[in-house]
Amino acid sequence: MKVSLFITCLCDIFSTNVGKDTVELLERVGCEVDFPELQTCCGQPAYNSGYLTESKQAMKQMIRAFKDSEYVVGPSGSCVGMLKEYPEIFTGDPKWEEEAKALAAKSFEVTQFLVDVLGMTDVGSTFRGKVTYHPSCHMTRILGVKDAPKTLLQHVDGVELVELPIGEDCCGFGGTFSVKNAAISEQMVQEKSEHITETGAEYLVGGDMGCLLNIGGRMAREGKNVQVMHIAEILNYQK
Amino acid sequence: MTIKKRERFLENLASNLGRPRVQKVERPQYSVSPQQNVYRGYSMDDLMDVLEKQCKAIHTDFINTDTTNLGKILLDTIEGYNGNAIITANDPRFQKYGIEDLFDSLRQDGKEVHVWNSEKGKDNQVFAESADVGITFSDITLAESGTVTLFNDKNNGRSISLLPKTYIALIPKETIVPRMTQAAQIIQKAYKEGHAVPSCISFITGPSNSADIEMNLIVGVHGPIKVTYIAF
Amino acid sequence: MSVKIGNAPFHNRVQDGIENDFMRKAVSSAQGRFRSGRRNAAEELGDWEDWRTLGEEIRSHTLENIDFYLEKLSDAVSNRGGNVYFAQTAEEANQYIQDIVKRKEAKKIVKSKSMVTEEIGLNAALEEVGGEVVETDLGEWILQLDEDPPSHIVTPALHKDKGQIRETFSKKKGYEKTDDPEELALFAREQLREDFLSADVGITGCNFAVAESGAITLVTNEGNARLATALPDTQISVMGMERLVPTWEDLEVMVSLLTRAAVGQKLTSYVTSLTGTRLEGEVDGPEEFHLVILDNGRSKILGTEFQAALHCIRCAACINVCPVYRHVGGHAYGSIYPGPIGAVLTPLLDGYDDHKELPYASSLCAACTEACPVKIPLHEMLIRHRQIIVERENKAPKMEKLMMKGYAKWASSPAAYKLSTKVAKPGLKPWTEEETISNGPGPLKGWTNARDFPAPSKQSFRSWYKSRRKREESE
Repeated sequence: MKVSLFITCLCDIFSTNVGKDTVELLERVGCEVDFPELQTCCGQPAYNSGYLTESKQAMKQMIRAFKDSEYVVGPSGSCVGMLKEYPEIFTGDPKWEEEAKALAAKSFEVTQFLVDVLGMTDVGSTFRGKVTYHPSCHMTRILGVKDAPKTLLQHVDGVELVELPIGEDCCGFGGTFSVKNAAISEQMVQEKSEHITETGAEYLVGGDMGCLLNIGGRMAREGKNVQVMHIAEILNYQK
Repeated sequence: MTIKKRERFLENLASNLGRPRVQKVERPQYSVSPQQNVYRGYSMDDLMDVLEKQCKAIHTDFINTDTTNLGKILLDTIEGYNGNAIITANDPRFQKYGIEDLFDSLRQDGKEVHVWNSEKGKDNQVFAESADVGITFSDITLAESGTVTLFNDKNNGRSISLLPKTYIALIPKETIVPRMTQAAQIIQKAYKEGHAVPSCISFITGPSNSADIEMNLIVGVHGPIKVTYIAF
Repeated sequence: MSVKIGNAPFHNRVQDGIENDFMRKAVSSAQGRFRSGRRNAAEELGDWEDWRTLGEEIRSHTLENIDFYLEKLSDAVSNRGGNVYFAQTAEEANQYIQDIVKRKEAKKIVKSKSMVTEEIGLNAALEEVGGEVVETDLGEWILQLDEDPPSHIVTPALHKDKGQIRETFSKKKGYEKTDDPEELALFAREQLREDFLSADVGITGCNFAVAESGAITLVTNEGNARLATALPDTQISVMGMERLVPTWEDLEVMVSLLTRAAVGQKLTSYVTSLTGTRLEGEVDGPEEFHLVILDNGRSKILGTEFQAALHCIRCAACINVCPVYRHVGGHAYGSIYPGPIGAVLTPLLDGYDDHKELPYASSLCAACTEACPVKIPLHEMLIRHRQIIVERENKAPKMEKLMMKGYAKWASSPAAYKLSTKVAKPGLKPWTEEETISNGPGPLKGWTNARDFPAPSKQSFRSWYKSRRKREESE
């Protein structure tokens, strides 16, 4: 199966490892992975801030970048969720509406792709440790992916998965919200950090780099000894 | 009676909706009707169980009895509420179920029993205000929520179930339906058949309560503080 | 007259909220209870999503035909001896009600809880004409005694603790007992009973009016709305124009959704449907009844992309799941309608000038949208507000606009984008220490005040990928 990787700008710049693991993971389960170099950012920072015109420029670039792809798979519920909203954003635009629909239809978040498209539950990885999972808001509520990440995590050999209290609560990232309303964002991420501490987990796992940068940054600032990992890193871990 | 400033108001709405005023609207067939599925196919006994369980959640005492023992249970309940002043609806069902005599015996015991009398006007409210117990029948009983429905009228004042400290609802088994859906159907059907809707329909679910202070549930605020349902 | 409360700037209000430890504890524990209550109530039904769909369809149909249904409603109320007044503005509504109070020479007016009368500032208007107004909902009474605005649309005094309430009762009403909530409530019962018995006029809001039969339905727990409508000889009910349903069968669905979404109850203690004046021979209920149907800015939402905001049934489910509300409290919104629905509605009713920060007071986590029993896409409406603030109102900060212009260039040019992945690391070097930025420049500062920011990876993903491909090709 041919898969185009949608790396997302945050992973591209800040988390090369997550990108590497996503590529290797997809290859390990039998996909042929390519990386369309014309891709940039999904447009969400501008779109969510109210800059529709600016965001559309980014979106058009993404549509162009993945024009020839069979499947588009990315390590982010939020960014893939944004791609899924393109059709609505370009509704009535004769030039872009159909292409937006085509991109949305073939785009998947990586765990969603593994479970829903490839029908997998066990990707054959091994990882020893006590893990808690933060289900990011856009993954669950925008993209509607609720069970796939947990299903895959439960099948990782050696993982002890503990429930995160009020896990469905936002970590306070919210893109530009975290700088525009930094004071409120701080309260939210602090609360999230407390909930993580309550679980006694050694690892916090999530499927969205934005949330992980936010939570990880807070926990580092608090001097907490919890390692933050992207789910692709765990799913690609061997011993 | 008067309707004021309607035309300009409604014209403005239609114009904002981008169309002329509509003269006729059919209520659409909605895509789903989950309300029809709740407790579908439940027997009377099943619904009675649902009702009994729900009463625990709404802080309401529930007694399941039969017509033979109804009088005794009612007396016991009144006594349990230290009922010295009692107000009831003027309802032929008291006679039908053979409990009218019971009020006479209470009176002989020195209790005050006031049967709602529309000719006495506000005196009814005055009595109700200082009464210990109010008693009415339920006209429709909703098993799901533990709700008694009262069609208030000149013989069944709103105050009876409202002003006294405690309230007893008598629930004939045949009044029990799954939920509010069936009550609404009954009311709507009556309306369509040309019957006037009662000036007040009270759906009462247990005692009054409030969570306004620190989200603590306080049972008993403006309405009755304790409630008992007697089903028979 | 408007939904606005207070004049402090948004960021000060937020800071006040964040620093109010008691309020935050109270709100947080209340949200916890709401969360489990609502979830249990929804789970019991088993098909909650179908209920939401039905709720949305009923609301949507009603609003699409609102002129038709309001006409029906007013005819039905009039046929049952009620007077109906269509008020375009808060001033018109207040004027009409003042006139009734003056004509009736009413000295005492009891009110049951109503957000719409808060919205129009009715209490102040009534006091202008000499009426003594008594709020009879426990929470509203506490706030009235303390001259404080509500911070929540269902439990308005959520921000106060029992000690503060005891203090208020003792200062204003000579209360001498403890701060036990049951005792406080009993005191309110006794005090307010006197008011109910001596009131000339009862004023209520309206949860739902049934267009077909003219029934005004009030959904309450305390019983004060029943008292306020059973005892005084004059009843005035004020409704936002959108608070209606076509028939009884629609009513019961909406009531079921409201009580479950609001408090996790299958039904509240009292659901009371009142039709017109009392009938011949009846003692309880009003001999004179007025229904005031209020626009006050609602009609301009019709026919716009925000129309679904008028589907709101004021259950506060969105408020109860909102993490932003949890941390800042209701007063921070500066509107009597707080939380996500407040952030959507307030600028629509009262303009952007005073409320342009509200649409940004959300991380767009969409918990509100998910909780809404009538599926209002609240977080999408917040984004739409932001678009209007940026593009139509031109109220966005200049710096932000410049940055977004830059963003568009960057994200639409693969070359510029690629370059940035290369220069990000050296560019942030002056602020980087051990692969961490803890005191970032510009907009990063808000972030790094509270948390670390990672330095960019040594090698961007795309450059790693490229070298990997080269390796593979050469092998």
